Parts: sequence; structure tokens; C-alpha cells
Amino acid sequence: MVTKTEETQLNRLENQVDNGGGGAWEYLCLVRKLKVRRSEKVLKHGLSILNDPKQRSSLGSDEWTLYEQVAVAAMDCQCLDVAKDCTKVLRKRFPESKRVGRLEAMLLEAKGSWELAEKAYASLLEDSPLDQAIHKRRVAMAKAQGNISVAIDWLNKYLETFMADHDAWRELAEIYVSLQMYKQAAFCYEELILSQPTVPLYHLAYADVLYTLGGLENLQTAKKYYASTIDLTGGKNTRALFGICLCTSAITQLTKGKSKEEKEGSQLQSLAAKVLEKDYKQRAPDKLPQLTTALKSLTLSS
Amino acid sequence: MAEDLVLDTAIRDWVLIPLSVVMVLIGVLRYFVSKLMHSSQTPDAKIVKEGQVIVRARNLRAGANFIPSKAFRTRKIYFCNEENGLLFVPKGQGQNPQAQMFSDPNMAMDMMKKNLSMIIPQTLTFAWVNFFFSGFVAAKIPFPLTQRFRSMLQNGIDLSTVDVSYVSSRSWYFLNLFGLRGLFSLILGEENAVDDTQRMMQMGGFGFDPSKGLSAEKDNLDITQHDWALLNFEHRAEAVLRKVIS
Repeated sequence: MVTKTEETQLNRLENQVDNGGGGAWEYLCLVRKLKVRRSEKVLKHGLSILNDPKQRSSLGSDEWTLYEQVAVAAMDCQCLDVAKDCTKVLRKRFPESKRVGRLEAMLLEAKGSWELAEKAYASLLEDSPLDQAIHKRRVAMAKAQGNISVAIDWLNKYLETFMADHDAWRELAEIYVSLQMYKQAAFCYEELILSQPTVPLYHLAYADVLYTLGGLENLQTAKKYYASTIDLTGGKNTRALFGICLCTSAITQLTKGKSKEEKEGSQLQSLAAKVLEKDYKQRAPDKLPQLTTALKSLTLSS
Repeated sequence: MAEDLVLDTAIRDWVLIPLSVVMVLIGVLRYFVSKLMHSSQTPDAKIVKEGQVIVRARNLRAGANFIPSKAFRTRKIYFCNEENGLLFVPKGQGQNPQAQMFSDPNMAMDMMKKNLSMIIPQTLTFAWVNFFFSGFVAAKIPFPLTQRFRSMLQNGIDLSTVDVSYVSSRSWYFLNLFGLRGLFSLILGEENAVDDTQRMMQMGGFGFDPSKGLSAEKDNLDITQHDWALLNFEHRAEAVLRKVIS
């Protein structure tokens, strides 16, 4: 996750570099460190550094990292000849490197020759069966080809060995949600919450999945997770506020005959409704009447 | 009895300082040599998996109160099940890592290299100190000591009436041996300040870690109780929202 300070720093550097000020190298280093995906900018500024022989020699041994970064960015922007040139330079310099082998396989993937890329990855995996990046590239390739079930298989096998990799769990959760396999997605989100309990994003996603699954117990749990998201974000997350309102109305619909702790639930719902109205008044005042009618219908049906 | 012996300043110039300088140089040399001789170890798949399992079990323990109790119980059974739980290591397999480590040629070579790179310079320096710098008083320790230390610190000096605070250069050697870690961290960067004491400790402890780690995690997980923290979160959310409105 990128923190706010890092994000502002990144944007500031980006503006500076775009408008002709110096600092392209610091920008590229920051992009590499934060692993954000700004391929066009990376391509533009990276190429400007690489094509200028004076700047290139001043980089020293970091030049090769820059080549790798620009190659990946070029593949992302589909400038395959630029990528091929960079890979060739790297191959000449490091003739036996597995990292360059991975770049070449990625180039095959970008060109669309899936079988050749598959073979290349398989041979790379034979040499180093514990290379996490290659496993992930195989999953990405299966997903790009549209073979979601194969992607799920590969990803599950990867997670059997590397079960502490939370990015992989997140990817798996999103794939399951896209396939509407909500129970499995709930499991993945639980893993994510376990490893990083203070990230409100995972609480929110888990609550969404639980609400979609439905059923009284799931709805009550979802409401609690929406509440925890509100707590973690200081009440600023609009989706969680809506979630609370919807959950409360759905719960009261399901428990129409039985009188349970309605007092506390309605307090939370009315508070959430008030915060939502205040928020909309500030940010989107023309949508306020729609909001009030929607909220009224929710409370009326409960 | 506390007559102060006046020590020649030449001792300081020609004994204490050169000895320290030599030890620092040997430490730096050892660091570079170890970097050259470092062979990249291909990690074993099983060990990697065990490491990851331990991390996941630790996460489960840490975040147990944030997931619903049913989910926690499912995972606990998955990890601690007597027959095929992830953390369960049958007694026979526990011994394997060490035996494997000795028979695996790469690892044995690495161990030998580490040990040798430490033992040889130590032995040589010690012999050099003994040969050249023995037989005279080298320094005075600023605090008084008991008579028991005499044999350790004064071994070149054959006068029994000299105060134990006056030590020979062998003790200066030992002082440097254990104390140069701060200097190395300045010169070589924070992570490379591995002094001889740490290396001696590393020599002792080896690869039992995987199996012991797993059983330790299993015991910890067995004890963990589930106390769902989210029960009170609705109240906390209300408080937060009230603050936002006001």
C-alpha cells in the first residue's frame, strides 16, 4: 500500500519532471520502489535518460536496472521494438542471467505467442523452482488468455507453498468475486484481514462479500465489519456508511417478527444516515434529494 | 601498596595502537573475503514452505480476534490437526534437518568456510601477540580486580606483587576481540557488524530451526483463545460518527 506522503511525493516529482524540471532519475527510482504502474511516463523519461549517453554513463551500474524498468514499461505500452532493444542490450551484458530470461519470456507474452512463453517459463522454473515472480507471471498469462480456471489452479498451487504472500491472496479473492464464488472469496479476505488487520480496504471488501452472500448471520457479521471500517477510516468511507444502512434494513426485514436489539441498530443507522447527508451536502448537493428519498425508503421498509 | 607504576609511553605507541589497528584491518579483510567466497544457496522448497507456514500461523495468532469465530476454528483445526495438520511434525522427521545439513555437501562447505574464516585469523593473531608482546606490563585497568584474575590477565608477568590492575597485552587483545563491533558497524555499514562473539554464537546454533519452530507455533496456536473484537465495534463506530456530525 502506498502511503499518503509517498503519494504526494510521487505526484510532485511527476509534475516536476513533466514540466521540464530535472529529477527524472529520482522519479524513476521512486516508481520502482513503490511498484506503481505508470508505464507511459516511465517509458518517456526512461528513454530520454537512456538515449542521452552522458546521462547514461553517469548512472553507473544502475543503468541496467533502468533498462529493465524501461523494458517492462515498453511492454506495458505495447512498444515492443523498444522492449526488444532493451532486452538485447541486457542479454549482451548478462548472458546467463535468469532475470533477463524472465524479461525475454515476458516479451514473448507481450507479443501474444502464448505457447512459446509457456515453454520459456517452464524451463525457467526447472532451474529455479522457487522463483515467485515466474509463478506469478504464469498466473497472469493464464488470466490474460481468459483461462480463469487455469489461473485459479496455478494460483492455488502457488499459495500452497508461499502462503504468506498477501498480494496473491488479494488477487485470488478478486478472481473469486469476479466468478461469484463468494464463499471462497470470503476465505481469502479473512486471510488478508489476518495478515493486515488495520487496512480498512479488506474489512470493507469482506463486508461486501458477506452482505452479498446473505443470510441473517452473514448480514450481522457484515454490519460489524462495516462498523470496523468506519472506525478505521474515521467515518469518511461513504461505502461503509451506505453498507450500514443497507445491512440494518435487510436485518430488520429478516427479523420482522422477533424483537431483538433494535435500539442500538437504529442508532447506528440514523447516525450513518446523518453523516451521509452531511457529506452529500458538502460534496454533491444536487444529489441530496435522491439520497434522502433512498434513505427514507430504507427506513420505511425496516 | 598502591604504588602507581609509571608506564612508558612507548608502550602505548608500539603496543596498544598497532594491536588495535591490526585487529581492525583483519576484521575488514575477513569481511571482504567472506563476500568473495559467498556461494549463493539454492533454498530448499520444503524449508521455504515451512517458513511461510510459520508466518501464516503467526498471523493467525496475531489477528485471531478480527475474524469470525467459525473461521478461526476452521483454521486452527487445519493447522493443529494431529494427523495431517500443517504444523504437526512427527517425531522421526524432527531429526532430519541436522543430518541433512551435514550430508548436504553445499551446506557443509558453507559451515566449514564460516568456521575457518573465523578460527584462522584468531589463532594467528593470538600467536603473534603471544610471541611479540609478552613479558611486560601493557596497560592499567582503571578499576580494581580480585586476585583470581591474575592468571588470566597477567600471564607474561612473573611478579606476584604487581597489582592485578596491571595487565599484559594478551588482555588487550581480548578486549579488542569483544569490543570492536561498534567500530565495524561504523566502517562496514550497519548489517555487517558481525563481530567475533556473534560468530562464535552462530557456530553453535544451526538448522534445528524449522522443526522446532513448527512445534513451537503449534503449541502457541493451541493455547490461543478467540475473543472476537468486533462485537464492540458497532459502539465504536457510533462514537466516531457522532464526532463527525458534531
